[in-house]
Amino acid sequence: MLATIVTLFLLPVAWLIATAYKPAAAMFTSPPTFLFVPTLDNFRKIGTLYDLPSLVRSSLTISIGSALLSLLIGAPCGYALARSRSRWALAIAYLFLGIRTVPAVATLLPFYLLMRDVGLLGTTAAVILIDTVLNCAFVTWMMFSYVRALPPELNEAALTDGCTLWGAFWRVDLPCVRSGLVAGALFSILFSWNDFLYASFLTRLDSKPLAVALVTAYGTYDISWGTLGALAHVALIPIVLMVVALNRFFIGGLVRGVH
Amino acid sequence: MSTLRLASRLPFETRRKLFLLTLGAPALVYVLAIGVGPVAQGVWYSLFDYSLIHPARRHFVGLGNYAALFADASFRNALLNTIVFSGAAVALEFATGLGLALLLWRDSRFNQICLALLLVPVTVTPIAVGLIFKGLLEPDFGMIGYWLAHWGWSDPRGLLGATHTSLATLVLIDIWEWTPLMALILLAGLKALPVDVLEAATADGSTLLQRFWMVILPLLLPAIFLALVLRTMDAFRVFDSIYVTTGGGPAGATDTLMMLAVKRGLQFFDIGAASAIGNTMILCLALIASLFVLLIRRADRLANGR
Repeated sequence: MLATIVTLFLLPVAWLIATAYKPAAAMFTSPPTFLFVPTLDNFRKIGTLYDLPSLVRSSLTISIGSALLSLLIGAPCGYALARSRSRWALAIAYLFLGIRTVPAVATLLPFYLLMRDVGLLGTTAAVILIDTVLNCAFVTWMMFSYVRALPPELNEAALTDGCTLWGAFWRVDLPCVRSGLVAGALFSILFSWNDFLYASFLTRLDSKPLAVALVTAYGTYDISWGTLGALAHVALIPIVLMVVALNRFFIGGLVRGVH
Repeated sequence: MSTLRLASRLPFETRRKLFLLTLGAPALVYVLAIGVGPVAQGVWYSLFDYSLIHPARRHFVGLGNYAALFADASFRNALLNTIVFSGAAVALEFATGLGLALLLWRDSRFNQICLALLLVPVTVTPIAVGLIFKGLLEPDFGMIGYWLAHWGWSDPRGLLGATHTSLATLVLIDIWEWTPLMALILLAGLKALPVDVLEAATADGSTLLQRFWMVILPLLLPAIFLALVLRTMDAFRVFDSIYVTTGGGPAGATDTLMMLAVKRGLQFFDIGAASAIGNTMILCLALIASLFVLLIRRADRLANGR
């Protein structure tokens, strides 16, 4: 029963991956066939149709850049909010939670005009900047909930032993919430790698990431699904494998991050 | 150095506060400047008749853009589509997600593998999900679409090409994509249930169905509402899968608020109207969130405290 359901959830993706090995002639048979002689033509084709290194570079720059920036500013902030005794702390934490619910169009238009005015329109930097708002809000909230679950006695003991405030944070508390940091990085990378709306309006031909290129793979250059399937190998398989391999962190972060 | 020496002379509690403030400030400033700033600017823009095609003709119209929206049939259609889509998708995802979570509840090696594999639909690029189903449902050569059209089960234009089936088909795509996430959140809720209460209910000799209705479901309510609010808010903002499959068509049958705002703003550069749609969405989302927060609080009180 469970195996059947899981198969149902995997089949559509398997179909897309399989089309990459399908020759163009087998794509347009009526009725459609399941059997075909596998070919690597589609992979050769995407090599000539797309500047693959540029697409991969943009996707990596955006996702890793935003994840690093989000961890750098979000993790300390989540920690500070969790440890602060100010009554403002919870309100600010909810602000971070709330900012994630704002629909992308509401921020995209003013941000688009802002980027145009400062001359960053069409660069991956613009996408990193806007992605980091959501990713940093997520990392902050995640750290907030992970640190709140951490006994404060640990930190107090370190301070009594002569640790500096920074040392107690960096060497005692932070290593204890490592899985939260991994989950935060994972969610940031996933969001930025998969984001289409921001990237499609903020990047140009030379800075567009894989998610934006996927849309042009069908219908722009030729009307076969083979090129899309081949491109999906680069765009989907790495991110899916990463999340499935790190599923423990992903699920842990999901459970903590949404509460 | 002198500032450091000065800092070390401050009382500990003050130093601690300063330290936390230094850690927290960068993210707060960042989110206020680049996240909240544009939202505020969007509210300001929505009060103007402002098109990028004629930027010089920009003038203040007050709430004119909002009044124009509600008088506009295509906006009302998009609002209705968004509500129907979110309602149907979330309800069906909840039903299937709860079933899936119950199936996965028992901790076994096999279930853990299934759980990991169920992350695939959640992680696949949403834009690719739309393209996958567009390909499968294509009526001339699609693996599924061909047979549906051949046997007369769908319109000759395919499920996505006919006005009466396109929105329902998008709901199905959304169900494929997000049911696993719903199941994951509900499963986390199931695993957090107090074991002694469950054991006591079993010892009582109650049937499985009784236990589900009387014990499990009431205790699970906070997790259920949480899963529902997250999915409702995401479904309300659906864009990627619709953009690549139907683009809002045929004849506006799948136009949602998000599609409409993107078209108005980023394709026709009507900043005023698009901002007004965006702000209406923020209001709707805030309404949904606060409704669910109230429900979660009540459910929490029922489940945990007397």
